[in-house]
Amino acid sequence: MKKLYFVMALLIVASMILSACGASAPTAADCTKEEVFCVGLVTDVGKINDKSFNQSAWEGVQKSNADGVADVVQFIETADAKDYAKNIAQFGDAGYDVIVTVGFGLGEATDAAAATYPNVRFIGVDQFQAETVAGVSGLNFPEDNAGFLVGALAAMMSKSNKIGAVCGTDVVPPVWRFGEGYKAGAAYADGMNGTTTEVFVVYHSDVGFDKTFTDPEWGAQTAKSMMDQGADAIFGCGGLTGNGAITAAAQAGAYAIGVDTDQYLTLPEAAPRMLSSAMKLITPGVADLIKATKDGSIADGNVFGAAGYAPFHDLDGEVPAEVKATMEEIKAGLLDGSITTGVPPVKP
Amino acid sequence: MQSEKQSNSLSRKILQAISDASLVPFLAILTAVVLGGIIIAFVGGNPFLAYRGLIEGSFGSTKALSETAVWATPYIFAGLAVALAFKGGLFNIGAEGQLAVGAVSSALIGYALPEWLGFSLPTIIHLPLAIIAGMLMGGIWAGIVGWLKAYTGGHEVINTIMMNYIALNTTSFLLNGVMKDRSPTNVIARTPLIDESARMPAIFEGLRVHWGFVLALFVAFFIWWLLNKTTLGFEIRTVGLNPDAAQYAGINVKRTIILTMVLSGMLAGLAGSIEVTGLNYRHELGFSIGYGFDAIAIALLGKSHPLGIVLSAFLFAAMRNGATRMQFLTQMPVDLISMIQALILLFVAADAIIRYIYRIKAKGERVVLTRGWGG
Repeated sequence: MKKLYFVMALLIVASMILSACGASAPTAADCTKEEVFCVGLVTDVGKINDKSFNQSAWEGVQKSNADGVADVVQFIETADAKDYAKNIAQFGDAGYDVIVTVGFGLGEATDAAAATYPNVRFIGVDQFQAETVAGVSGLNFPEDNAGFLVGALAAMMSKSNKIGAVCGTDVVPPVWRFGEGYKAGAAYADGMNGTTTEVFVVYHSDVGFDKTFTDPEWGAQTAKSMMDQGADAIFGCGGLTGNGAITAAAQAGAYAIGVDTDQYLTLPEAAPRMLSSAMKLITPGVADLIKATKDGSIADGNVFGAAGYAPFHDLDGEVPAEVKATMEEIKAGLLDGSITTGVPPVKP
Repeated sequence: MQSEKQSNSLSRKILQAISDASLVPFLAILTAVVLGGIIIAFVGGNPFLAYRGLIEGSFGSTKALSETAVWATPYIFAGLAVALAFKGGLFNIGAEGQLAVGAVSSALIGYALPEWLGFSLPTIIHLPLAIIAGMLMGGIWAGIVGWLKAYTGGHEVINTIMMNYIALNTTSFLLNGVMKDRSPTNVIARTPLIDESARMPAIFEGLRVHWGFVLALFVAFFIWWLLNKTTLGFEIRTVGLNPDAAQYAGINVKRTIILTMVLSGMLAGLAGSIEVTGLNYRHELGFSIGYGFDAIAIALLGKSHPLGIVLSAFLFAAMRNGATRMQFLTQMPVDLISMIQALILLFVAADAIIRYIYRIKAKGERVVLTRGWGG
């Protein structure tokens, strides 16, 4: 009898909850209609709340929704690489107008889907378009500009006039551009202030990409050896490897500089010494392209978003007003093209 | 009750056996689904809509069915691999690594063999060669562990785990090194595409389901036949149940242990091969991750019976595949699916919970997993 009670109780509770929810089923807007503008986002193998890439892109999509550009926004998290095509097709078949695919890994699936769904605009975040594909806009970022900004900042803030950068592999062009931009930025600041800053930039040169970006111990060791040589600002660029360097720098009391997003928010253990982060402004980049799609002003091929640097947060008081002003000038100069980093798109 | 006992009709016996064997898994699934629904509702979702999405996404259209079969294919092979080892009293945790070396070997033969030979091969030769390469490599990988078990007593659980590390890191090394796709824009650790002649044809135009799926069903039948209708199968099962008795009965236990692991590894290698030749046409770091571990769950849920494995592989495939549609409809995180899967497994593995809740008496023989840590 006891069993019967339990099963019945379970079923009653379940059915109550189910019926309560069933009553308020949302009425899905019909994306196949001309006047309903729908935007779907497919993540790379990763979570929508990764505090990095996927999240920034999704915030861009949400922004377009809040701004009244997109009527319906949805995302699908990819759990396995073989689902790329299927996840994109989910939006394509539902008549979505824009499909945002996040990350280099989805590049091939995005190009293939563009042929299947000629009426859909595809926005490939960080998908450099070697050849122009009809219907696909690759959203790329000037990493060298972002590296330039934090390089200049580090050079201006350093008391020892020695700064370092610990990066993932230089085989990946964006990582290389971060590192080279950092050097160029420091040199620019030196030229302005008449200082001489020594810059150490080290790339992880291990075999596998999975290793080069997931080696925090190496990152920490490399950062420590730079600090032993007197460096007092460390830029970590390259996944967990960079995070290791950032954390080591923060623990040693040096200035730590993050990458991609505002890492003050993602690396709490380093937050107190987090000077800034070299940011790719993915959120506004995605939102702008969605708007351009609706306007009809979007083009196939590569589109470049903007680079920036994160707020100083806890260290805001340590940064002199003139440095802050100079940083804004450099940022504006990079945007309008009056300052160039001189870093080529790929390593020569 | 008595008439039931006296009834000797074969069909009745079979039906009885099926319902006995499937009762606990079925109730485990049901309980997990209800609990999952409650959790969905608790986090503010709509369980009806979520489950509707799950079913639509996995069975709702020909495309969905095709994708479910695509997912089920490696699960069937890998599930059979783990189950075969279970039957022989061995716990093969190394399916993950065996699958990876199988996939890499198949990819290598798929893209490089014609280059080495200097001429192209017809599909009828190239495709089987690619698949056999993967099977052999998987078999060797697991066979090493079998040999260690038979001749040194090294426990297969530890050794398969260690072999996983070796396999996955070697794969990473190869995919970033000599086997890397050298096309100029590529930065991903992956092999070049395999030649057309090494690709498994699709069954239907426009759908991704390929002949590997049919092969999986055939292999499941073959394993059932091998285990139940052949001397080797009898030996494997006997060694699994009681190696001392098997030894006494004149079975070469060492040879059987090695053979069991080799066969198990070949099945796991096949899972990797088929993913490469039938679906991805290359191997890429990060593809097929976790299938070897899901396979353990599938073998457990399927009670190590080939038919049970096909069914549980389908269940897992449907959940993985339907997750997209579920997310699309409800915006629930995909992790929820993994959680419901975990609940099912929890209830199946700890079937005492289900037996207690529904007051089912245990009867008949229990599934033999492994003879414990002492070996």
